Amino acid sequence: MTDGEIRELCNRFFDAYQDRRVDELAEIYAPDCIVWHNVFGRDTTGAENLAALPKSYTGQRRRTYDDRTINTFAGGFVIQYTLAGVQHSGHRGALWICIVGLCKDGRITRIDEYMDSSKFAAWAGAGRIS
Amino acid sequence: MTDRELRELCNRYFDALERRDVDAVAEMYAPEFSFWVNLTGAASSREENLKTLREGYALLRRRTYDDRRIDTFAGGFLARYSVNVVQHSGRRGSFAACIVAQCKDGRITHIDEYLDSSKFRLPRGGET
Repeated sequence: MTDGEIRELCNRFFDAYQDRRVDELAEIYAPDCIVWHNVFGRDTTGAENLAALPKSYTGQRRRTYDDRTINTFAGGFVIQYTLAGVQHSGHRGALWICIVGLCKDGRITRIDEYMDSSKFAAWAGAGRIS
Repeated sequence: MTDRELRELCNRYFDALERRDVDAVAEMYAPEFSFWVNLTGAASSREENLKTLREGYALLRRRTYDDRRIDTFAGGFLARYSVNVVQHSGRRGSFAACIVAQCKDGRITHIDEYLDSSKFRLPRGGET
């Protein structure tokens, strides 16, 4: 995949995630896609990730993936972004996240996500965890 | 910088961090170097980062940067790795992290670091 194709795939992925288009995410994930998260330290399948999304989306009024800085390398991308959330209470929060996506044949085959779980409570408007 | 030069700089950087060679790290940082980490969301200067490194070494017996997976892009590198630490008490810990580094003329000009702070909190009252 070219630099342009990888960047386009990356933005399509985040646009779909933001707009809650799970069907399009299913098209973007390769059948063998793996999602790994530094907070849990274990692999989940793309199917498991997709199955968890509808419930996950009910947690906030809105989530946007802003300030996207994308760099591509052979076979993938690294994206640094701000996850801005608006809770149902109206509370606004932001998380700084980095995702590494491996890509093949126009699809994402693996995602490694890095974030700081200590920020979750403040993001959700529940105050800081001491 | 070529792919090979970026990879070499990346490994040299982590090797220097491991052996606590702050002088070597300082040589790899460009004068305008800045360091940002997702824990604070704030950028620190070259001198502030070097000071943090010197002070941080006293807190642990050993820290290694293992399982390095390096990818390069135009003007920088991405490194995913495991940080393995041994506290003075002998207690061991490990967490995954990644950095995105911007490089120019053989030096690092900026680092963004992403990690999960809940993974490396020292036990309350425990020996560090």
